Formats: sequence, C-alpha cells, structure tokens
Amino acid sequence: MSHIDPVLTKEKAIDTVTPVKSSRRRIVTALAGVSATVFLTGCATNAPQDTFVPKGPNAKIIDDLNMIVFPIAGVVGVIVLALATYIFMKFRDKGQAIPAQSHGKPYVEITLTIVPALILTVVGVFTFRGIFDLAETKDTELIINVTGQQWWWEYDYPVQADQGISQPIISSGQLVIPVGTKVLLRETSRDVIHSYWIPALNGKKDAVPGRIHLLRLEADEPGIYAGQCTEFCGLSHANMRMEAVALSKEDFAKWVAGQQKAYTAPAAGTLAAEGETTFINQCSRCHQVNGIKDANGKPIISAPDENVYSGAAPNLSHLMSRNTFAGAMFDLVNEECRADVWNAKSEEFGAKYLAGVSEDCLNEKDLRAWLRNAPAMKPMYADPSNLEKSNGLYRGMPNLGLTEDDIDKLVAYLLTLK
Amino acid sequence: MFTPGSKYFLGLTGLSLVSAVLYTIFVNPSDIGAVALFGLLLAGALVAGFSLFTRDGDAETEAEAVEAAAYAPTPSFWPIVFALGAAVVLLGVATHPIVFVLGIAVLVGGGVEWTIQDWAERASADAEFNDLVRHRAIGALDYPGLAAVGLGVIAYFFSRIMLAASKDGASVIFIVVATAIMVFAFLVATKPTLRGKSVALVVTAGALLLAVAGVATAISGERSELVEYAEADHYSKTHRECGEEEGKYYDHEANNTVSLRSAVLATVFVEDGKIRAQMIGLEKDVDTITVPRSNATNILFRNLDEEDHRLVVNLGKAVNDETGKEEELGTCTQLAGKNQEQVLTLNIKKPSSEEQGYSFTVPGAEGEIKVVVP
Amino acid sequence: MAIIERPGSDTTPAVVTASQSLGAVKRPVETKGWKEWLFTVDHKKIGIMYGVVAMFFFIVGGVEALLIRLQLAAPNGTILSADQYNQMFTMHGTTMVFLFAMPMAAAFANYFLPLQIGARDVAFPRLNALSLWLLIVGGLVLNASWFLGGAADGGWFMYAPNSGPVFSPSNGVDYWILGLQIAGVASLIGSINLIVTVLNMRAPGMSLMKMPVFTWMILVVQFLLVFSLPVITVALVLLMFQRSYGATFFDVSQGADPLLWQHLFWIFGHPEVYVLILPAFGIISEVLPTFSRKPLFGYPFVVFSGASIGLVGFGVWAHHMFAAGLGPVSVAVFSVATMAIAIPTGVKIFNWLLTMWGGKVWYTTAMKFAIGLVMLFTVGGLSGVTHSVAPSDTQQTDTYYIVAHFHYVLFGGMVFGLFSGFYYWWPKVFGKMLNEKLGSWNFWLMVIGMNLTFGPMHILGLQGQPRRMYVWTEARAGEGMFNLAFWNLVASIGSFILAVGVLVFLINVVYTARKGKASPLDPWDARTLEWLTTSPPKAHNFDRIPVVHHLDEFFHRKYEEDTATHTMKKIAEGEDLVRAEEEAAEKDIHLPGPSYWPLVLAIGVGILGMGVVYGVPIMVLGGAIVLFASYGWVLEPSVAEDIDFDPPSTDGSTKEIAPLG
Repeated sequence: MSHIDPVLTKEKAIDTVTPVKSSRRRIVTALAGVSATVFLTGCATNAPQDTFVPKGPNAKIIDDLNMIVFPIAGVVGVIVLALATYIFMKFRDKGQAIPAQSHGKPYVEITLTIVPALILTVVGVFTFRGIFDLAETKDTELIINVTGQQWWWEYDYPVQADQGISQPIISSGQLVIPVGTKVLLRETSRDVIHSYWIPALNGKKDAVPGRIHLLRLEADEPGIYAGQCTEFCGLSHANMRMEAVALSKEDFAKWVAGQQKAYTAPAAGTLAAEGETTFINQCSRCHQVNGIKDANGKPIISAPDENVYSGAAPNLSHLMSRNTFAGAMFDLVNEECRADVWNAKSEEFGAKYLAGVSEDCLNEKDLRAWLRNAPAMKPMYADPSNLEKSNGLYRGMPNLGLTEDDIDKLVAYLLTLK
Repeated sequence: MFTPGSKYFLGLTGLSLVSAVLYTIFVNPSDIGAVALFGLLLAGALVAGFSLFTRDGDAETEAEAVEAAAYAPTPSFWPIVFALGAAVVLLGVATHPIVFVLGIAVLVGGGVEWTIQDWAERASADAEFNDLVRHRAIGALDYPGLAAVGLGVIAYFFSRIMLAASKDGASVIFIVVATAIMVFAFLVATKPTLRGKSVALVVTAGALLLAVAGVATAISGERSELVEYAEADHYSKTHRECGEEEGKYYDHEANNTVSLRSAVLATVFVEDGKIRAQMIGLEKDVDTITVPRSNATNILFRNLDEEDHRLVVNLGKAVNDETGKEEELGTCTQLAGKNQEQVLTLNIKKPSSEEQGYSFTVPGAEGEIKVVVP
Repeated sequence: MAIIERPGSDTTPAVVTASQSLGAVKRPVETKGWKEWLFTVDHKKIGIMYGVVAMFFFIVGGVEALLIRLQLAAPNGTILSADQYNQMFTMHGTTMVFLFAMPMAAAFANYFLPLQIGARDVAFPRLNALSLWLLIVGGLVLNASWFLGGAADGGWFMYAPNSGPVFSPSNGVDYWILGLQIAGVASLIGSINLIVTVLNMRAPGMSLMKMPVFTWMILVVQFLLVFSLPVITVALVLLMFQRSYGATFFDVSQGADPLLWQHLFWIFGHPEVYVLILPAFGIISEVLPTFSRKPLFGYPFVVFSGASIGLVGFGVWAHHMFAAGLGPVSVAVFSVATMAIAIPTGVKIFNWLLTMWGGKVWYTTAMKFAIGLVMLFTVGGLSGVTHSVAPSDTQQTDTYYIVAHFHYVLFGGMVFGLFSGFYYWWPKVFGKMLNEKLGSWNFWLMVIGMNLTFGPMHILGLQGQPRRMYVWTEARAGEGMFNLAFWNLVASIGSFILAVGVLVFLINVVYTARKGKASPLDPWDARTLEWLTTSPPKAHNFDRIPVVHHLDEFFHRKYEEDTATHTMKKIAEGEDLVRAEEEAAEKDIHLPGPSYWPLVLAIGVGILGMGVVYGVPIMVLGGAIVLFASYGWVLEPSVAEDIDFDPPSTDGSTKEIAPLG
C-alpha cells in the first residue's frame, strides 16, 4: 500500500502546526518525521480485504484510477499544508503595524479557481473512461445469480452448456469461479439491501430487492479472496461475509462435475443413516438436499418459504465441498486445514480446495455449537416469541432444541454430503 | 386572569385528562370509554378556552359588556345557516351519510360563527373595534377552512379536466395553465398598481372558467384510454385466458415500463412464429432460463409478430385441495400486440425436477423455453 | 407580527387597553427566574438555550461514540450486543447531525445574526421560541426511544426496506421518524425566520455585500434548509405511513423500488452536509480576519463560493449511491458534478490562507481552532476528491475510509469551527473571557485526539474494514505490527483523548463562570457590529440602531487609514464607541413581550407525535393542545406600553401593525 502514502502522511503534517518557539519547532519536525515513517510502513501486510491489492482486471481499472487521484490529492495536500504552515510562522504578531486593509486581488482569485478546475478536468476524463470500462458486460463468459438474504448469500449457476453446467448448481458460503474468465454476477436480494464486495476483484455493488444489478468479476490466479457485505442489512450485518474461490479452468470443471453428482444416501445401519432420518425430520423443512428421498422413496422438497420470512435457506447438497457455513461467518474446516488451503501455492490450491472437508479437517466445535443453538452463535430474529410483525416467520435459523445424540448423528450425516 | 366559569371547565379538563390517561393505561386504550373520556377532555378544554376568551365573570369587562349590550345588535344571518345545518343533518339521517356529515359541518360552522359574532359584539362599545375582535377570532378558523375547501374544489375540477383531456392535451393544458399563473403572479408581485379590482376580476374569471370546465368534463367522463384500462383490469381473474383465444379484454396500450428496466431477468421474444429468449447480461439466445427460487422475478415478453400473442408459464401439476383433482399450474400475461411488451412476475416456491419440468410457451407460436428452478 | 391597539381618544367609551383587549390569558410581563427562560422570545436567550441543548446532545452523542469505539477496540467486542451497537451508531449519527450540529449552528445564528446586522431581534420572535421548543421536543421524542423498547437501529440514513416494520420491529424507528419530523419543522420555521430577518431588518446602510460573512453563510444555509427539508419531510411521511398505517411505498413485493428512499434521503442529505459545514465556514471567516487584523481576502469570492457550494450541493446527491446500481451514465454525471463542488471549496481554503498572508496574526485559542479547521478540512476535502472518482468510490464507500473522510470534514471542519466560535464570542455572550491556558489544552488535546481517532480510519477503510459492523475479526485484520487490530486500538485510544479535550472545555466553562476574569468590551480588536454594544448585550441590543458605511463597520469606526503611509491608525477604543452609543440612546424602543404559547404548542406537537405510536386518543389530546395553543397565540394581547409605538403615531390613528409583536 506504499503508493498512497502522500495522502496519509499529510494528516500527520497537521501536527506541525505548532511553530511557536524554535525549540518546539525542532521537536515537531522530529515528530512529523517519525509519524511519516509510521505511515509509510503503517499498513497491515496481507490484509485479506485490502483495496490496494488488485487481483483481477476489474480491480486493476480502479487501482489505475487510484494511482492518478491519490498522488494528486497527496501532492495538493502537502503543498497546501506546507503553505499554511509557512504562513502561520511568517506572519505571527511580532509587533508589526496593523497591515493595510486590502480586500484581495481578483487575478489571484481567478488563478486559484482555474488551476483546481484544470486538475479536476484531467481526473474527470480518466474517471469517465473507468466508469464505462467497468460497466462493460458484452463479452461475459459465465453468469452467476447472487441473491442476498439476511444474513448469507446464495449463489446459483444457471444452466450454461458451454461451461459444462447442464443442471443448475446452487450453493452458498463460497462463490467459486474459474480464473481468467469474465464472470458476471446478477445480484438481487430477497429482503433488504445488501452489497456484494470482493475488494481484490472489483468494487462493490448493492443487491437491491426487486432489481437485478450486474457486477463483473475476474480473477487472475487461483486462490481465496475475502469480502464482506457492505450495505447495512440489519442485526447480523457484521457477520455477513463472503469468500470468492478462484480455480483454474480444469479445476473449475471438476468442481462443476462434483456439484452435479447425484445424491448417495448413507449406508443403512450407520450413524450417518440415522442422521439422515434426523435431517429429514428436523432440517428438511427449510434446507434442501437435492435427491434426498423419504422412506417411501418420494423426493423431499423443502419449503423454506413457510418458515423463513425471506423465503429461502441454504441448499446443503455438497455442503462439505465448501469451507464455510452460516453466511461464511464460521469456517467449516479447522484452523490448521484452513491455513493450509489459504496459504497454498496457486498451482496446489485447486487440488487442496477440491479435496473438500474431511472428517479430520472438520471444525466440529463451531458446527456442533451452531446445531445446538444457532441464535446464540449469530444474532438473528429467531426468537419464536418475537415474530409478531413477520407473521410468525423466522429471520435466521432458530434453536431447534436438538439433543446431543441428534447432533452426533447429524454431524455424521452432514459429513457424507461431499 | 382565570374567570370563574373557566375555572370550572379547566378543572373538568384536568380531571378528565387524569381519568382518560389512567383509563388508557389500566383499562383499555382503544375502546369507547377512552374515546368518551378524551371527548370530555376536548369538550372541557374548548369550553374552558371560550370561557377564558369571553372573559365571563370579569367584573371590568362585564361592565363593558353591559354597556355594549345597550347598543342594538347588528343583523346576522348565522341563525339561518345554523337552522339550515340542522335541516341538512335530519335529511342526512334519512338519506346518505355524506349529507349528514355535510350538515354537521354547516351546523358547527354556523354555530361557531354565531357564537363568536355574539361574543365580539359584547367586547366593547366601539363597533369598529368589535368588528376587529370578531375578525381576529374567526379568521383563525375561517381562512384555513375556506382555503381547504377551495383547494379541494380546485383539485377536483382540475383533475376532472386532466382526466378528460387527451394525453398530449393534458400536458399542453398543464404547461399553459402553469405559465399563466406564473406570469400573473409575477405581474402582481412586480406591479403594485395592478392590485385590487383587476386582480379580483382575473381570479374570479379564472375560478369561473375552472368551475365550468370542471363540471363539463366531469359530466363528459374520462378519456377513452382510461375507460378502456378500467375495463381491461389486468388483475381480474375472469379476464385471464391463457390459450390461443383472442380475449376481449386486454391492455392495448401496454408498452415499455421504464422502472422495470433494471429488474428483468430474461426477455422472451416471439418472432416469425417462433419463440426465443435472452437473459440479462448474456447477449445470446438461450433455451433454458434459470429462475431463482422464492424470489419475485420479472420476465419480459416482447411480441415482434403481427398477430397478438401472450406468454404462458407452465408450472407442472398439483392436486387441488378443494376439488381433489389434479390441475395444471401456471399463469400468463395479457395479450400483447405487435412490438408490445408485457411483464410476468413469478415467485416460484418449489424447485423444478426431472419429472416436473417447467416451461414458457406462447400459444400460436412454435417452441418452448425450459424453466429451471434450483 | 401582531395588531396592537393604540389607546383611543377620551371620547370612546369603555376604553379597552391593548394589554387586556383580547384573550383572558394575559401575556407574561417582566418575568423573572425560570419563567424568564421558558417564556422568553429574546433571540439572545433563545440562542443560549439552543447552545445548552446542543451541548447536552453533543455529550450524549459523544458517549455513544465512545461506546462504539470501546466495542471496536478489540476483535469480537462484547461491550455491546449487535442490537445495541446498531442502535448506538444510528443514534450517534442522528444525534450529532440533528441535535448537536444543526442546533449549535442555530445557537450562533440566533445570537449573533441580529447583532451582526444591527437589528433588535429576529423578524418573528415567537416563532423563534417555537423553533427552540420544537427542537427540544423532537430531541426528547427521539431519545425517549431508549427507554421505550429500544432506539432506532437502521442507521441515520434509514434505508428502506430495512426500516420497514418487519425488519425493524421495535418502535425505535417510529420515534426516529417523529423526532426528526418535529425537529425538521423547527428548522424550517427557524430558516424562514432568519431569511426574513436578514432580508428585511438590516441596519441602514448595510447592503448585502456589506454583510458579515457569518451572516452570509447563515443566509445560504437557511435557503438550503428551506429547499431540502421538504424532501425529507415527504420521505418521513411515506415511511411513517408504511410503518404505522400499512402503506407500501417501499414494499418490494407490492412493486415498489427501494431506491426511491435513497434518492429522497440524499436529495435532502447532501445539502444537509453543507448546512452543517457552512456556519463553521462563516465563523472562521470572522475569526481569521479579526486575528490577522486584515479584512477577509476576496470577500465576494468567499460569499459567492459559499452560495455556489449551496447550489451545486443540490446536484450531487447520487454520489452517495455510486454502488447502488444507477447505471454508468448517471454515475459519470454525478461523479463530475462532485468534482466540480471541490472548486469553490478550494477557493475558500485559499482565501483563508491569503487572509493571513501579510497579516499580524495573533494566536488565541479561537484562532488556533480556526487554523485547525483550515488544515483538517483540507485533509477531509482531499479525501473527498478521491471518492468523487466513482470507480474508486466503489472500493471506498461504506468502509472506514468514508468514516475518516466525513469526520475530518465534520469534526475537523465543523466542530473546530464551532469551538473557534465559542472562544471568540464567549466574552460577548457572558462578559467573561474563557481561560486561554485551558483553551490551549483543549485545542491540542482535541487536535491530537481527533487525528489519532480518525487518521487511522483512512488505513482501516482502504485495507477493507467496512462500517457499521458491531464486531470485526482477527481473520480479516491482516498481519504485521501495524495490522488493522493495531489501528482499531489506536482509534479507540484517540477517541478518549478527544473526549478529554472536550472535557477540558467543559471545565473551562465552569472555571470561567466561577473565577473567570471580566472581559473588556472589545477584547479581540474585532471588526463587526456585534461588538458595538455592551457584553452581554442589553435586551434591546443597540441603544441606537447603527448606520453602516463599511464592510467591517466596527473596525472602521476604530481605525483610520493614514493616507500617506497606508497604515491603519487607531482613532477610538471600542469602549468609547459603545459609550457614545449609550449617550445617544433612542427612547421609544419597542420590544416583543414574552409568551406562553410557543412552549405549549411545542408540547402539544410532541404529544400529537406520540399518538402515532400510542393510538388515536393520544393524538386527539395532542391535537387539542395544538389547537388551543394556536388560538392562544393568535389572540395574545400586546404588552406594548403607550409610548412604545414604533414609529410613534403621526396621523392620530388608533390601530396599527407592530412589526415586533
């Protein structure tokens, strides 16, 4: 982030407004130097949401604009503040006579109006081009519907034969995209306004209910890019996170194949099979698992709209192919495995990510706590006594009152959803 | 400053306030008891107010009042208005609630005017001053009241004219009238000599013109398109025929709806008797449209053919709880003529499956577009 | 205005005197003690009350801010729950904007605007009192929500549909709507009042271009309010009907577009930003020339740049919505318009610097705060330019970078301006000097605290920390010594230093009230008319309405230019001038009498508002009080003494309109 330093250092230049005594002036100069150094090195390294580390062409367009406007602002700032400091020192009351009462010089005024106008015209021209470049959607290669809901994102991949998507894929928690592909997100929302933001890939765009907004993403290399909902969306706004996973084109094809794999019920008699029954009784009301069948062999279709105000709940087919749950608030993998995936080299990343969540890697602590009492883990409107205005419908996952036994079975079952 | 009469009524007001608040908190805030207590409160406050303003029991002003009363009272037509109000109220009881309300309004208005005139005449022995007193008291009621009635009448007549005029005509009328008012106001503001009778003349003429035009247009009715819209009734179930038939009722004026531009997921076209579709963000034809589940989604239908067409969405079959029979689910748009558009808003709660595929079709055109709901 | 009754001739029987002619509830006369304040219509007392109320809410909003910073000092903060945090930042923003910044500007405007233009009071004194009481009632309604089921939790911008009854089920948003609606009425009344005052009541000789810049900026602000407040009023009415009476203006399932609210809110909200900052610009445009002993450099440029900021401010609202999906054409237009507004703002900065150029600069605390404003506002203005570039803004909006930007503008700009005003005008208002030593502590603590609090937020935002999150996690904070955790902690520490700075000011106030030394009449060698009277000023402001010949009239009465050397020579002291005025005092000064009704009416409006939440009976009660108070107001008698007619009768008529009734 070193290139934005001119702007940041100038804040500290304010501290230099102390030129009263010369000894104090030296101290102040020293202080200013120290603070400038602090700001030069003063940024976090590797911040996952750093806006100055573009990892794709769209973010690069923005970064190029930043490279114009931030230095200009910095230089202007330094000049103005230096001039101001000079004036304060120079024209202190040293007993001089009351000056002539001059009311200003028009040519100075006009110059000082025209110069900023010219600078801004230059910035404006580049801005114009940037805006229209970013709005380009004609050469899109992959479309993904992104639907915001309190407090998670649903990603669904419409049927697109040329990307190998023959049946719709529906997922949440992590957006998976192929690298070097122009991906278009079609954002909307089921309840309030949310905003989709992966800083490394592009700026943010609001997901507004009743409207479809387009946002282009493209990643240059495989990896995980973090993001965060940035339009205040109620109680758990802070917990509405996202992660974009970029895979090489071959790995993406494998991922697509994995997501379209048919459901296999757990073998009879296992703990997981008991877990399937618990899932059907407790979870299927809201959460869909594609292909799951009841005892009579009839497919089970969930009806989240009858229980949840906004109308949907995350689809849990292939849950264990994702690394997060509960709106990406919690990791589905434990810390060790998470670090392994996040820090993987880009050529190894795909294989590690596609391995999914094994039993050893599972973050059982958070998953169990979530199943035990979800509202205690994440603030939600899920208290049955407080649903008067939403017609008794929940906003978020309620406490299901599961026994520890149920939870054991469910965890065993969920682990089979590869 | 508090006169004896007012003290009694102020006490009553205070007491009813206390009991009303207690009643609201401890008994029931929204039943007739609360309304009655608050009514009593209001009545007490009003009478107390009048009592204060009329200075009843104030020795000094009573002396004046006695003196003032020695003069003959001025003629008044408020008793007649009051009586008229009473008659209208009775008529209202027999005929229509609106007449009743009107009667109450006349009754209350006449009563207040009468009371204040009577009160003002006792204010002092100076008739001119009494007139001023009356104006100040009644003006606070008169002017807002008359202004509200006047604005209501203007709004009503003007809306009748605008509804009767053709679409373009209405724009022209609006511009002309607005400009005329602006110019007139400007003249009045800048040329003080214009004030007085000439202004009154213009305003009266304008009001008359508005009234005549308003009455005429109210009788002649709204412009034909509006009548047609009202008859077509987009949302009436009885007008929904999803087959090939040419419905009598449809929106001939259907056209581009600007506000939907950013909210359309896909557009379905009919061209040369064939159906094709495009999705937003992807500028090529698709044969499958994926619609998110449980979220209102707009699909635009655009007819490029000569014949009228409509878009039909087929959402599988389900057993009707009432009849016990299996029925086809789905809905359709109104008919759209050449180059016209219709929007279908879908909120599909159930996912599609292999057995139960969803689709868009257009009666009278070839082909279908598959609908997938994940 | 009121109609007052001139005593008639002896021939009229049963004379009714003016003071008792109409209405049995007489006007309060010569009130003392608490009544002196409750029923006053004196613009100076109202101004002081505005100031006290605003200061109270500044402390309330400040405590809310400290709680926010405490919560965010460390990851996964547990001081506040998610719900409490959302209420806290909503109310912090709302309180600071509507209950501190606007009333404090109104305090200065009320007190000094009539004094600066040589008037005895504002045009409509009772309406002035009504504005104050409505503001207080609005503030109480807004904050009552804390004790009645929870405050509003949708952010000060209250975006639909998150503000709807389902998504915000407590009554907090209802109180928010009503509180703002009432406070909005207060501002609207106040702005009309001040516009009329400035346009009609300037002292003889004071043309618009001889008006002090502070008055000019206040005038611009009042026009901004008159045109922007109706928009928020409409928006609030729509939201109120949506929440309380089942309307569907922002209900998407009924075909509404939630962006409607955003447009309405920001068409009001952006001019509102200039409503907040321009009074501070006005204050320092008085302070800088005074302490530089030079007139403001380029007075007409400063005035017209202020006016053009106000005008262009109406055309840039959508820059708050660059991420809202407006489409590239609108975004490009608003982006350029936003850049354009930087130009007049830059002009102001240069003019202030050039005012000091060649001056004889005297570093009092007031001057320090003014210089602080120039420096800090420059930083805030330049970060503003970076997000006028719309694509960059899509990375910055709703992050802490924006928080840093507007706190540099509003705290470094507006609050520093207001503090400069406190130190500059305190001797005028209270006749005592604020302690300069404590003032210096106050200034430096605030500068350091302010930069420590909001400086790091630039880094936090640019490195990806969004706003309005009740917790942040270590996982997204990055690595290294200076990661986001470090800067969050620094910001929290800074906020407490800032709070100590404000505390020092309060200590200074108490100290000054007890032990402060009396101020000379003209402690700063000032330039404008408010110093041409005693400190504190008499009830009627000026013994003789001054006749104005110059911009900076007071200065030019004290100094004369030596035609040979072009230096300024002192020819009179401020005390001499004031004494001269006292000796030539006018006799027939008519002042408006105090009144009960503004207070009663405001209370009625408050109860009426509560009725929206608590049902029709309460509304009926409030309505009855409003009606009753309106009648009392209309029929209120004048307390004019027989000699008080202004101007004295010449034609023997017995009735006339008194402009100051």
